[in-house]
Amino acid sequence: MTKLVQNEMLKLIAKKRLIVIGIIIGVLVILFTYAQYKETETQRKKLGTSDWRTILQQQIVDTTNRLSSSRISDEWKKQLQISLQQKQYYLDHDINPAEPGAPTFIRIFLENSIDLFIPLMVMVIASDLVSSEHSMGTVKLLLTRPVKRWKILLSKYITLCLAVSLIIAIAGILSYLISGTVFGYKGWGAPILTGFNITDEGLSTSDVRLLSLWEFLLMDLGLVWFVAIVVGTLSFMLSVLIRSTAAGMGVMLAALISGAILSNMVSSWESAKYFFMVNLRLTDYMKGSAPPIEGMNLSFSMMVLLVWWAAALIVSFVVFTKRDVY
Amino acid sequence: MVRLVTIIAALFFLLWLAGLGWAVSEYYAGKQDQVPKASEQKIEKAENKKGLTVVALGDSLTRGTGDETGKGYVGVLVDELKEKTKQPVQLTNLGINGQRSDQLRNQVGQTEVQRQIHKADVIVVTIGGNDLFRGGQGIIEFKNEDLTGIQTKYLENIKAIFEQIRNHNQNANVFFIGLYNPFIELGEGKEMSKVVRQWNYQSAEVSAAFPKIVFVPTFDLFELKVNDYLYSDKFHPNTKGYRLIAERVASLITW
Repeated sequence: MTKLVQNEMLKLIAKKRLIVIGIIIGVLVILFTYAQYKETETQRKKLGTSDWRTILQQQIVDTTNRLSSSRISDEWKKQLQISLQQKQYYLDHDINPAEPGAPTFIRIFLENSIDLFIPLMVMVIASDLVSSEHSMGTVKLLLTRPVKRWKILLSKYITLCLAVSLIIAIAGILSYLISGTVFGYKGWGAPILTGFNITDEGLSTSDVRLLSLWEFLLMDLGLVWFVAIVVGTLSFMLSVLIRSTAAGMGVMLAALISGAILSNMVSSWESAKYFFMVNLRLTDYMKGSAPPIEGMNLSFSMMVLLVWWAAALIVSFVVFTKRDVY
Repeated sequence: MVRLVTIIAALFFLLWLAGLGWAVSEYYAGKQDQVPKASEQKIEKAENKKGLTVVALGDSLTRGTGDETGKGYVGVLVDELKEKTKQPVQLTNLGINGQRSDQLRNQVGQTEVQRQIHKADVIVVTIGGNDLFRGGQGIIEFKNEDLTGIQTKYLENIKAIFEQIRNHNQNANVFFIGLYNPFIELGEGKEMSKVVRQWNYQSAEVSAAFPKIVFVPTFDLFELKVNDYLYSDKFHPNTKGYRLIAERVASLITW
């Protein structure tokens, strides 16, 4: 088995995909770092201060004013109210919600890339893991070996999981190294709050706990990793089912993008919460922002993702072991 | 090489799995062992100060509702100050649309707002329009006892607000902007004006009881040709109207 995994890893490294992914992440992180830097700069200029309390207070007042507008929808109003109460809580407890520094950049980067960017990177590896064997014609060589088919597929799947872990690590390390040059490498111990509960009345702060940023980041990375594994498994299944890599990628891409769009408009379509793609933003539960559909929480989303994951895995193995290869 | 990458990947696999497990247990089991207590942050001494700090408190007039440029009198005032003083001016606009005097009283009770007040060199306040005109919805009831009730509460509130401001900042000049009568050309305009004048007089009396709190009248500015200076809602000033108020306040500010 280890031989098989090693063999798959060898193929993966020979394809240089991980390096490509590293370069993509690096370039994007540079862009985001610059964008973030520009944003704080203009904000500082506009308000004439870099004092975070003043900026936060100003944001609170601005949000309050937006709330008083009669033209905004109830949904949006609720989300604004939740973020308002959260900001006020941070301010009342004298905690900066965005302590400047590379760790905060990583947090924001992860929160924004969990539902599209990281899954895309995973797809680059996962979507042709099996189908490329078909298109290159090597699948016959592979299957004529005296090894059981499920073992071959399992070795590919393990390789996928390892590659996903590497991608998350690359994302974390690169964003730390690159953003640190601008924002500084400190801030691991900065306090951050978690445990905000969204209830019908708005935000409940009774369970709020204080964490260090490094603890929070490790949890965030774990959640991102989980999402990446699930998305990777789904692409893996498509790669088994569809022989054309491009078609498999297209299907997955469509699903991911529709998820990003759906999350913004499904609030009234309740059964949409069983789609895997509206459940990808797990880090939002840690941060405490309103879920796209009422009643969703971390365990619900994780259960939905687990069911999709298990189904994808079963389908992959059943199809791969049963199918005729010619 | 392959071996090394595999081992590193496996280690990260375990690390992220641990992170995931921690996240889930923290999300559920993590009963509050460390409750962050409400901070009694001491108000810091004024930090490295450059230029003027202006804090604006109040209602939609402070916000600038009705001004197409979005500045409001506060924005225009800050622009003028920048030009006159040749110094950077830092503005913190804490105005909230539709705010009444009781709400402002709550607002100045907040720690962070107090810290902002503490830092200020100039404080400008508009309040009372929503108490008296009920947000521009309708004209006040003329029944005297209702009006007296509203006015007494309002005067109490502004007194409390001024006390708070003076508690946290003894030096800043406070400019309290009076009310104008947006309904002056309507049917009962004359009677309305009388009420507004009385209201302003009482407000000026309260302001006068505090050091360095200046009541700034605006009634006269809008007395003639009120419609030239009102936004299409016939309640808030328009760009020109805000400019009038800003110029008046700017002429009073010394540094």
